Amino acid sequence: MSVMVRSIASVPVRTSTETWRAIVDLLARAASPGRDRLLAVTNVAAILIAEEYTQQAPIVVTPAAGARVRVRTVHGTDAVDAQTDEIPLAVSPCAGTAWTMSLPCGIDDIEEIRASLSTHSWITVRDVTDGITADPSEPSTKSAGSLVINYEEMGR
Amino acid sequence: MGTTVQVNTAVYATTHVATNLLRSVRAIIKGCGLDTSRIRDQWEVLELGVSTWLASGHLRALTLEVFDPRRRAGDDLVGRFDFTIDYGYYPDGDGDLWFDPDAVAYAIRKQGSIPSECDYRLITDNAPGRPAVSGWSSTTYRSTAGFTRHAIGTTTGGGALGANLAYYTRRNS
Repeated sequence: MSVMVRSIASVPVRTSTETWRAIVDLLARAASPGRDRLLAVTNVAAILIAEEYTQQAPIVVTPAAGARVRVRTVHGTDAVDAQTDEIPLAVSPCAGTAWTMSLPCGIDDIEEIRASLSTHSWITVRDVTDGITADPSEPSTKSAGSLVINYEEMGR
Repeated sequence: MGTTVQVNTAVYATTHVATNLLRSVRAIIKGCGLDTSRIRDQWEVLELGVSTWLASGHLRALTLEVFDPRRRAGDDLVGRFDFTIDYGYYPDGDGDLWFDPDAVAYAIRKQGSIPSECDYRLITDNAPGRPAVSGWSSTTYRSTAGFTRHAIGTTTGGGALGANLAYYTRRNS
């Protein structure tokens, strides 16, 4: 499966809530059903961003079809540069409802966050130390703000 | 241009301090063993209020009041944490943005244990004329009679902004 990687500027360029809204804008076009699902978890997602878990490991979106998307947040002085380097996606992977999302979370918060998302079955939480993958079979190659080359496909 | 950098530095400092103030409050709530669901479920409203009033210069303090609903009104305060805003903390600074979680952890340790039955609320002290933010209402602080205030120091800062943490303990405890 191919993977697209994006970086979104966070604190101090945006508050944690504003950062999640920028991620929602990236993943789901206006008035789409998937957008409502993302906005419904704004408080929880904003906390994960404020705690900078989404800087340590990406949010992973697995759409029904097409490339998987990884989104990282950039914090501190690096966020200032990251803001100008943000690249929109050509597609809206979360516009519909047939997608899943994995959010990174620190071990101290994971029970609380997992319980708070129990009614949002399309969104799961994983230990931030589990790394960048929501699926062990996923290739780990990444490139900020650009398409990632799928070497496996090229070798066929 | 210099002006643009100065404006952005102030905006960045405001955002940095606002988010880390709430991050600190959540750490205190969690560290004291209180239910984190309230701050979690109100995060968006809280962050909007704090960031708006920091940006407008109206926010004087953000307070976490911990109280025991089983005790009578007027004598139900159990603990309190104040983050007092200093708008002239570091006016000649280089714009560094920083956050000291160890200072917050120290305040949690010094506060001591809090009964699990306790509840909490967040209060802002604003200068007159603050911009309206949806989701916030007016209130008054609980009495701190019989409590001693302990200053910890500055826990987060950026540009000219700083937030000074203090906690309260009951004198006879």
